[in-house]
Amino acid sequence: MLQKLAILFAAFTVAICVEEKTGEIQGARLLISKQILNRYLVEGKDIEVRYSLHNIGKSPAVQVELKDNGFNSDAFEVVGGHLSTKFARIPPESNFTHVVVVRPNKYGYFNFSSAEVSYKVSDAPDAQTQVSYSSEPGEGGIVAFRDYDKKFSSHYWDWLAFALMTCPSLVIPLVLWYNSKSSYEKVSKPSKKN
Amino acid sequence: MKYFFLFSLLVLPAVIFMVDNGNKMMAYADEDPIDEEEADVEGETEEGDLTATENEEDEDGPQSKASPDADTVLLFTKPNFQGASQLELVAGNPVEFLVGFRNKGPLDFVVDTIDASFRYPMDFNFFIQNFSAIGYNKIIKPSHEATFHYSFLPSEAFAGRPFGLNINLVYHDASGNSFQEAVFNETVQIIEIDEGFDGETFFLYVFLAAGVVLLLVIGQQTLLSVGKKRPAAKKAAPVETGTNNPNNVDYDWLPAQTLASLNKDKSPKSPKGGKPQSPRQRKAKRSTGSE
Repeated sequence: MLQKLAILFAAFTVAICVEEKTGEIQGARLLISKQILNRYLVEGKDIEVRYSLHNIGKSPAVQVELKDNGFNSDAFEVVGGHLSTKFARIPPESNFTHVVVVRPNKYGYFNFSSAEVSYKVSDAPDAQTQVSYSSEPGEGGIVAFRDYDKKFSSHYWDWLAFALMTCPSLVIPLVLWYNSKSSYEKVSKPSKKN
Repeated sequence: MKYFFLFSLLVLPAVIFMVDNGNKMMAYADEDPIDEEEADVEGETEEGDLTATENEEDEDGPQSKASPDADTVLLFTKPNFQGASQLELVAGNPVEFLVGFRNKGPLDFVVDTIDASFRYPMDFNFFIQNFSAIGYNKIIKPSHEATFHYSFLPSEAFAGRPFGLNINLVYHDASGNSFQEAVFNETVQIIEIDEGFDGETFFLYVFLAAGVVLLLVIGQQTLLSVGKKRPAAKKAAPVETGTNNPNNVDYDWLPAQTLASLNKDKSPKSPKGGKPQSPRQRKAKRSTGSE
């Protein structure tokens, strides 16, 4: 009797140990990265933000809800995409990418914080909901449009002014030359006919 | 009864392993918390600083362990790494990875920094390059998880050599215990990029082609000059100016028909006997001929 009990107990403990070891691997596990794709952040110009959700777990992540509260509406205007989305299901060993285009209204330093994602760790109806935070792009300086324009605009008006200003120095010698040429031709033509 | 003891011998370790999850029952070496000064030294080193960071004594110091309540995971996103073979990083291309951190315990965790370093593959205590320690200072509440992004650039000078890559995660819990975990500690191979277009070889071929063209031009020139020497001697013959050129006139400058008319006049008689032509007549003749 005691032996049987001991055997049962041994089997039970082994089973618990195995379950505990595999349990944490079996659930879905999302790694979320949030990246700013632009090199220059400019006031009034589009900024692309990419969210990549990698499921590295063994089961699919279900009811994935991504919400980014980092872009408040008075500083940013959403031009494309949505700041909160839902993915029904992210299978294991796969990834999803979500892109949002925002446009800053102000310049200055801005702290790009992380997005919040909640998902269920497996298909099971009683699966627990996991809250996850994406990576933070960190603080970025948004350049004023005036400063950006100084560096990178194509300077159409400047070149036009330059062309106008260089006109006299090109036109005056041309006129002088043309006058002398035409006067010379007036002299030389009758002499040729002789 | 004998069997019972045997079974208890089997059961007891299992029970210990089960209960062990957190508070240690077995003997273990107690380690001091990480030295603040050391962390600063690692944090301040720049990426470009290759030689100055080889401080060996720094590794001999104590290292704190990982917390049992933290579940960390690493994923390389830039060179796609499946984990089957040795990780290969391309020199000169940025490497990006994500570190996932899940809090399984009852206390808040604060992730402080992640830093990466290249080490000598034979001896991981020997630092070759330290990458910046990036401070995150992110609070992770119980049963929440967070992802951290880190990227670094292996120098092109390291191409073709194996390195020990060590990625270190430093965090502490709400009660002030600091932890450190090496989320990645393996030997990686730095490989050289094999791009399709190499500027050096391209200009080598351009230079070779230019050399070939130059040789062809030189060959053509020598062949032409060798071939032309004999006809040039004969060519002088048809212009029969004779040795007696009384006016010392270079007849090459005269138009063809003038020469012809001069020759016509000359041929029957001696050049001296020829009727002198007025320049005005000659000019008229030339203008009618050329226009």
